[in-house]
Amino acid sequence: MYQLTDVTKLYAKGGGTIPAVRDLTLVIEDGEWLAVQGRTGHGKSTLLNLLGGLDRPTSGTIELDGKDLSRLREGQVTRLRAESIGFIFQTFNLVPTLSAAENVEAALIPLRAGAAERRRRVDAALDWVGLGDRSRHLPGEMSGGQQQRAAIARALVKEPKVLLADEPTGNLDEDTRDEIIGLLERLWRERGLTLILVTHDTAIARRAQRVGVMSKGLLSVHPAAWAVSHDGAMTGDEKC
Amino acid sequence: MFFFTYLRRELRRRIRQAIFIALGLALGIGLVVTVTAASAGVKKAQSDVLKSLYGVGTDITVTGAAPKPISPGSTPPKGAQTFQVGPGGAQVCTNGKCHNAAGQKIDHLDSGSYGPISQSEVAAVSRLKGVKAAAGGLALSDTSITIPKKFGQPGAPLPTPNSFNVQGVDTSQLSLGPLSAGTVTSGRSLTSADAHANVAVVDSGYARSSKLKAGSTVKIVGHSFKVVGIVAQPQGGSPPQVYIPLARAQALGKAGGKSLKNDVNTIYVKAGSAASIPAVQTEIKNLLPGDTVTTASSLASQVTGSLSSTAKLANDLGRWLSVLVLIAAFAVASLLTMAAVSRRVREFGTLKALGWRSRRIIAQVMGESLAIGIAGGVAGVALGFAGAAIITAAAPPLSATIATGTGQRVVSAGGGAARSFSPTAAHTVAVPMSATVTAAAIAAAVVLALVGGLLAGSFGSWRIARLRPADALSRVA
Repeated sequence: MYQLTDVTKLYAKGGGTIPAVRDLTLVIEDGEWLAVQGRTGHGKSTLLNLLGGLDRPTSGTIELDGKDLSRLREGQVTRLRAESIGFIFQTFNLVPTLSAAENVEAALIPLRAGAAERRRRVDAALDWVGLGDRSRHLPGEMSGGQQQRAAIARALVKEPKVLLADEPTGNLDEDTRDEIIGLLERLWRERGLTLILVTHDTAIARRAQRVGVMSKGLLSVHPAAWAVSHDGAMTGDEKC
Repeated sequence: MFFFTYLRRELRRRIRQAIFIALGLALGIGLVVTVTAASAGVKKAQSDVLKSLYGVGTDITVTGAAPKPISPGSTPPKGAQTFQVGPGGAQVCTNGKCHNAAGQKIDHLDSGSYGPISQSEVAAVSRLKGVKAAAGGLALSDTSITIPKKFGQPGAPLPTPNSFNVQGVDTSQLSLGPLSAGTVTSGRSLTSADAHANVAVVDSGYARSSKLKAGSTVKIVGHSFKVVGIVAQPQGGSPPQVYIPLARAQALGKAGGKSLKNDVNTIYVKAGSAASIPAVQTEIKNLLPGDTVTTASSLASQVTGSLSSTAKLANDLGRWLSVLVLIAAFAVASLLTMAAVSRRVREFGTLKALGWRSRRIIAQVMGESLAIGIAGGVAGVALGFAGAAIITAAAPPLSATIATGTGQRVVSAGGGAARSFSPTAAHTVAVPMSATVTAAAIAAAVVLALVGGLLAGSFGSWRIARLRPADALSRVA
């Protein structure tokens, strides 16, 4: 379970500071699917970075299962990410010189699993996302959808508790988008993991349980049915 | 295995840059290896030159103080032969009695620039602490001058001496002295039974030029010596040309007109160990304060010619040049590695997001740099071998010159101020230049390759260590 209390993140710019996230208080239950919407530059990715321990808040606390991420040492946060948090990026972020199988294997390196164990888990993950026959292909030899499947396999191979997805369908066509979202939804349902997904797509946001709207660093959370296109997003003055 | 797979793939991705960096390192390392090989070759040549002069196993040489030159107008020592030019023409004088020297051949076996040392001092030196063995020798020069008939007249040419070196060898201590370095190629060497015999061993080069062989006869100050053997000295040396038993050299030789009976002019000393050489040198200096005591390293400075200037070139310019090239190669490698890391910031940010610790990513980058460094090192050693081979094949022979006095002094007392000159016999030998790649040079190349790789990798590693994952992931690919 995530518990965020009065979280603020400021960035220094041009002699002043810009609040990317302001006074955010939020609880995300285990196994919940939260979609996050909002205009570009309003703090969505910053929120995801904070939840993933990739950045630290300027003030406030972020607790994951009782552990305050803002107080852990860098090594402890890294360990937590290795074991419990999976990431999916808009641009897939696969290592271009490694095959699909090797990219998935990269997620197991920090866990120091043996070679046989790694091979077994990698094969299982690639089979689950339907890329069993593409395991030796390099990212440059795969379509966008296949690359994102490989990225999903990389995220799930370590059996994380939390999956953080930053616009996972942003670079995909409509059909592929549906495929990927279907995959993520299936993953969420079958594994019971906590899924926090940033998206501009209202249709995708409505498939979540709740939707949070970021507006100028402020977050307002609503039932998923209330999701609207980000052009008409609520100002976020209300807090949930 | 993942580590090596990732490393291999990444180097293949930027193969051109990797080759460029490796070639730069190879050039610097190759230059170091070549210069080191050239220095080693020059040192060996110097050592061979010295070895042929003083023999294998000789750690210290003692030479007698040079005798005072005879000044014009002074009374020469008893028995000394002088000649002078005056209104009566050229004359040879002995003990005050002079006769016309025009057309006459004067033949001397003289000690030259080394003064006499009593043979009893050889025994004293051998008893010193730290001395393993000592042997006396006589380094003499047989010089003959034919006085031209018109010598002394205006415009008349000065006579030119013909000389060859004669070495008096202690036949009871053949392991010390110049003869010890030689290899008998025909006949035999001297033995203790030859102590008082008119026998000689001739240097192979001199034998060739003078058409001598085992069984021939060689004349030394008019005395016939039977050649019993031909000996070849280490290539590039300037060895004595004829070796005769010490007792015969003592009987025939002179130092400033005085007999050399019971005298030597060189003592060859072998120390108990290399570490004791300086102490032994000091003890001998205390025992024989007027004489010159030198070790092998100090003798090297007496050798002139292109051999010594090449040694300087290799040691000074060569080393500095290779150091500069290496620094440039390291700098280029470091900059290019940092640039490569900058291009992979998003990739490294992703790995951090996956849970990779900074040190794991650093290890990957260091591994890539080390691999390039090792490739550069291997290529550098190969370049070094090639450079050494080119030097050995194409470099012209170097010259090594050692000047020795003949002991003669010619005084011209014609019209005007008295003029005098001391004919010297300078021995110049051609020393082949060979560059040898030593194990130390290869080891240095390996170390430099590793240092180059580590240095380049460390710059990139510093960048990675400071990388914030959130910033890295926000970079546009």
